Amino acid sequence: MNPSAPQLTGSIRATEILNQLAEELAFVVPEQDTGLLPVNRFIMDLEEIAAQESPMEVSSGLQIARKWLDHILDGTGKFTTEAIHHLNEWHAWMSQVLTSWDKKAPMPAWPEKWSKTTSPSAPQPKSKTSVTTLPTEDEKSIILNLKDDAELLREFHGESLELLQNIEQGLIVLENNPSDTGTINSIFRAFHTFKGGAGFLHLGAMQDLAHDLESLLDAARRTELKITSGVIDLILSGADALTNFTREIGFQIQGTGAGQPIIVPTRNLIQRLKATLRGETPMEHPSPSPARTAQPMKHAAIIIEEMAMEVMPSLKSITPPSKQASSLPSPTATPTNPTENSGGFVKLDTWKLDTLVDLVGELVIAQSMVVQNPEVQSLTSRKLARSLRQLSRTTAELQRNAMSLRMVPIRAAFQKMSRLVRDLAAKQQKEVQLILEGEDTDLDRNIVEKLSDPLVHMIRNSVDHGLETAADRLVSGKPTLGTVRLTASHQRGGICIRIQDDGRGLNPERILAKARERGLIGPDEKRTESEIFDMIFMPGFSTAEKVTDVSGRGVGMDVVRRNIENLRGKIEIHSVLGQGTTFTIILPLTLAIIDGLMVGIGDERYIIPTLSVRESFRPRPGMVTTIQERGEVVSVRGHQTPVLRMGPYLGRPMRAKKPEEGILVVVESGEACRALLVDELIGKQEVVIKSLGQTFQNQHLLAGAAVLGDGSVGLIFDVDTLVKFSDKGSLATSRPSSVPV
Amino acid sequence: MNTAQLSHTYTSSPSKYVTFTLRQESYGLPVLHVREIIRICPITPVPNMPPHVRGVINLRGTVIAVLDLRAKFSMAPVPAGERACIVVLQLGAPSTRPNLIGIIVDAVEEVVQLGNSEIEPCPDFGGSTSSQYILGVATVRGGVKTLLDIEKIFAEEGTISWQLLERLPPAQEAHRS
Repeated sequence: MNPSAPQLTGSIRATEILNQLAEELAFVVPEQDTGLLPVNRFIMDLEEIAAQESPMEVSSGLQIARKWLDHILDGTGKFTTEAIHHLNEWHAWMSQVLTSWDKKAPMPAWPEKWSKTTSPSAPQPKSKTSVTTLPTEDEKSIILNLKDDAELLREFHGESLELLQNIEQGLIVLENNPSDTGTINSIFRAFHTFKGGAGFLHLGAMQDLAHDLESLLDAARRTELKITSGVIDLILSGADALTNFTREIGFQIQGTGAGQPIIVPTRNLIQRLKATLRGETPMEHPSPSPARTAQPMKHAAIIIEEMAMEVMPSLKSITPPSKQASSLPSPTATPTNPTENSGGFVKLDTWKLDTLVDLVGELVIAQSMVVQNPEVQSLTSRKLARSLRQLSRTTAELQRNAMSLRMVPIRAAFQKMSRLVRDLAAKQQKEVQLILEGEDTDLDRNIVEKLSDPLVHMIRNSVDHGLETAADRLVSGKPTLGTVRLTASHQRGGICIRIQDDGRGLNPERILAKARERGLIGPDEKRTESEIFDMIFMPGFSTAEKVTDVSGRGVGMDVVRRNIENLRGKIEIHSVLGQGTTFTIILPLTLAIIDGLMVGIGDERYIIPTLSVRESFRPRPGMVTTIQERGEVVSVRGHQTPVLRMGPYLGRPMRAKKPEEGILVVVESGEACRALLVDELIGKQEVVIKSLGQTFQNQHLLAGAAVLGDGSVGLIFDVDTLVKFSDKGSLATSRPSSVPV
Repeated sequence: MNTAQLSHTYTSSPSKYVTFTLRQESYGLPVLHVREIIRICPITPVPNMPPHVRGVINLRGTVIAVLDLRAKFSMAPVPAGERACIVVLQLGAPSTRPNLIGIIVDAVEEVVQLGNSEIEPCPDFGGSTSSQYILGVATVRGGVKTLLDIEKIFAEEGTISWQLLERLPPAQEAHRS
């Protein structure tokens, strides 16, 4: 695959460019435009070579890639999963072609599927027509993958209905105030989200329509397009077509007509959208709009009726529209039907949920106060005893239920990964199996949402760089099928998520060399193996150059760690060279509960999140030294760690006047550490984090408060602030006092 | 917070006021703002806050800030007496998540109904600082009640700023060792 002849023939140059192209492709992410321009440039370079001298296969292959790219460039400007897949297949084929060209060997066969239109993003390869083939195509249908994507489709369906409702409400606002940029933005975002969701599920027709609608709103957003009632009608018709799609998806999820292609006419709509975008007024098109400004909403309803009529032959399950357009009250009336049977989800404000959880917590406290009241306990009534037991059981059950309201299984986040691995494996031509375990593990909804990005990064890393190609695996005596294991389990009172591959493992020497090269550590500094592995999380580690041959490319690993730490979690690496790498993420069960170390400062109690605490000890006299009479430092495991006396820092009295009278608690935030001098350690406790409310929103010292067992409030330190707190303030104030001495 | 709108609501029509005392003086607050009145309880102090911010308490699972109105009005501090209470006020529009704030008062008296005609504007003390918080004064059974504009009092509490560096004492201990 990588021939290296000395002279720079066309094939060699092309192969080089193709390799660079492959590197770019490895970093391409669906729904993003990262790498689009480099890929385009490399294709252009190849075209240049092909123009001078090349076999027919090269130039016609390039034509195909050119068409796909043009389609992306003319369209969303973002890669779709499908497009990436195609480009990778194309790359694999093209590298064979180039190898054959170089060796003058027979060319590989022209892939069957490129000879016919297989997907919306892959136009006819042989035809020279431009990519705007949409108008001439027949109405596109979408087929749901109900087997694999059921969960995602259900989520998409629910989300879409909500988005469409927001869009319609926004449009009503726009009717009255066409220049309301906030509303235009929110509609734009809604379509954008919609497009993303549709693209993810390969719902091409919906995605295309949402894309054009998005472009329209984008133009309006940039005030290139004036919002007229005609435009609003157009958007409404688009939204309704999407609603029809969504409704049909809803039916299929529930088993009605499952597996049948869904066809909603969008061709005319897309044409009109594109026309409007080009600056032609939508009124030129045959749309029934007699009373234009008088009753815009009703007039929109007419279009819907017309559309619904069109839809009728193919969508048998849609309720027949009313014969009289005027009897349709408003377009918002149409999508109500599916909302009722969309799986029984209720969306509610999180604060309502929090309040419920708070109150239940208080109920439990009140209940135990009643049960343990000596007067109540002295009563011997068996009936009362039974009632109290009943009460205890009910409150306990209520509490469990209330706590579980915020919890969702991690499955949704995991399932996205199986799709990712599928796509990555195809692209890398590796044989990869993803094993998911513990998908039913519940954790806080907020965590599941924020976990998705880091997981994608790490899974990509594992497949891209961790796992070897089948050939390499055979050489090292491993089965060709690489395994990535993604597991979730309860552990240490939290959730443990493990991403384990049986690939080549991290090479500590190469990481160390890289770190030295980047100047992250001195040339002679020694590091333990785990410290070396930790370096891949350092910002700036191997970002400049793409080190695709070293596992753990470092791109985004610092972001991964930051994301995990923001969730109050930790990430650890375990790797054996040649056997594989395991990333272990430890996360709290919920963002609402933390493990806290309670410390005493003066007469007050404060809580330090245990995850940030490295260690704590009572210093011996002389362990704490001053530097330049200013900052105090203590040596912790060979590192000079600055000391922060909490009493003076908080402006509160504290008992320990000398460090050896108190306890030093070493806390860390990111790379930085600080030793906090407190009076005593009181104990470890699980506490429920509460917001301090608006009153204290501008301070950063406290991350929140917790209600302690006795009903009083404990304050939780924001360790980040403590660690990052700059001594400059105290230096500035201490200097003048030291000058006269 | 929607200060203008709310003060407008409470000044336009006859309404009820909760009256309470601070030392010998009697004050009134619009009853619609009073969420509840609770017995004084241990307050967790919050470091590095202005003196009138006493700390936080647990109100049935919600952590709320408690302010000392005496300190706010620059009155001499005295230990809480037998009848001292925390009046829990609700700021902001009721439809959003309520912003609750507690104030310590010496004693809660009663609820009185006052018409617009009974409320006089605050007499001019000549640049007195705290008159800006006063909605007006009313005479109830011979006693003067000062009606407070709570939105104005707490407008600044919504965003108590954090003045860490100025309040940090010099690192004097550092010189010793």
